[in-house]
Amino acid sequence: MAEPGRIPPELILCRGCRQFVFAGRSDCAFCGGDLDALAAEHEARLAEVRRAAEALRAALAGHAPAS
Amino acid sequence: MTERPVRYAEVGDLAARIPVSVVWELTLACDLACNHCGSRAGRRRRDELSTAECLDLIRQLAELGTRDIGLIGGEAYLRKDWIELIAAITEAGIECGLQSGGRNLSEDRVAKAAAAGLKGVGISIDGLRDVHDALRGVPGSFDLGLAAIRRARAHGLVATVNSQVNQGSLPQLREMMDVIVEAGATNWQLVLTVAMGNAADRPEMLLQPYQMLELMPLLAELAREARSRGLFLQLGNNIGYFGPYEAALRDLSDDELHWAGCSAGDSVLGIEADGTIKSCPGLPRPYAGGNVRDRSLREIWEESEPLAFTRRRTVDDLWGFCRTCYYAEVCMGGCTWTAHSLFGRPGNNPMCHYRALEMDRKGLRERLVKVRDAEGLPFDHGEFEIVVEPARTREPDRIVIHG
Repeated sequence: MAEPGRIPPELILCRGCRQFVFAGRSDCAFCGGDLDALAAEHEARLAEVRRAAEALRAALAGHAPAS
Repeated sequence: MTERPVRYAEVGDLAARIPVSVVWELTLACDLACNHCGSRAGRRRRDELSTAECLDLIRQLAELGTRDIGLIGGEAYLRKDWIELIAAITEAGIECGLQSGGRNLSEDRVAKAAAAGLKGVGISIDGLRDVHDALRGVPGSFDLGLAAIRRARAHGLVATVNSQVNQGSLPQLREMMDVIVEAGATNWQLVLTVAMGNAADRPEMLLQPYQMLELMPLLAELAREARSRGLFLQLGNNIGYFGPYEAALRDLSDDELHWAGCSAGDSVLGIEADGTIKSCPGLPRPYAGGNVRDRSLREIWEESEPLAFTRRRTVDDLWGFCRTCYYAEVCMGGCTWTAHSLFGRPGNNPMCHYRALEMDRKGLRERLVKVRDAEGLPFDHGEFEIVVEPARTREPDRIVIHG
């Protein structure tokens, strides 16, 4: 049976300064931002982009030339 | 969503320690004369594995769960049985790729390799025509390389370009991308030229640590542009680490991915043409874990201590800047091949973007100076010192860190 390989500690991406920081912290070691709040803002922005993209797709489908 | 290449290791692979990705030097025979070649390839090794030994090794790799084999050299196609070996690898359920300079990758060779099951071809393009031909030591090799890419595409193979990043190619990367897109490649893998073998004799070609400040923003810009043109830029294991572009550069489709330390010996395995097993194909002899002529591959993979260096290394083994770096516990000093080639031991790697940024923040930069020549043998290295100096001058300060 092979000895397990090395599994490194987990890092998460700070959505404020885009530096990786160790998971489990509440504030970013680089910009001092609130990691959870920044992640929530990021998710909200992503959801907005997805909704806009969906609306654009639907609008384009409505104007598709007849084949 | 792009399908992840089978050579990428998942957490489960690391836990079970599967040699997912194997780089196999089929022969040291080569038809180029590259100024940076770490193995100083040219003539075949005297005792390269026979066809029967190679076929048995493929069987052993399949048993261990290998999913991807990259054939390298020298030039793998200079072995008479290379097509037979590609067919055997494919038959064993393992994806097979070929990394080549492309000088003599003829229509006939590509057609036969594709028919045998070859999935992809990686061709070295290390600059525009003049820079490439000078580095590769053969006039015309640039055009022959591009022709090989087009041939590979015509046969339905995945075409990758591999590029050395050094003083010659750095100023040409943007124009190189145009050439690579035009030739039809879909992947572009970049690696820093490492001070090993022939490159150790030509330190003037190596990037200086402070040039990471120029390289990384450029790569981030090129990666975005490349993607819009159907080309995926991939960083070699010795380009990084962390800093503001890590998320953008490691994997454009998932910005949570980051450098997690070297996986040599955990999910990556290297084979030399004489059956020597290493955890990374670039590493020098002290890292050799044994030879398949003496022990089974499973025994070497599971029991050999020289292959275990990534698992054994702790933060206490690091030194210099890397010892106290914020990312030490994850990064573990970056690429061992790069660091060992510079200092004769791993654990302190000045070729790092985060490190260069931290030095710059203090108004400093690091410069490498060679203090000992290499002996002139395959996979050998000299020795370098780090000179720390003010960031905006070429005059050295008095701080010298020895290897």
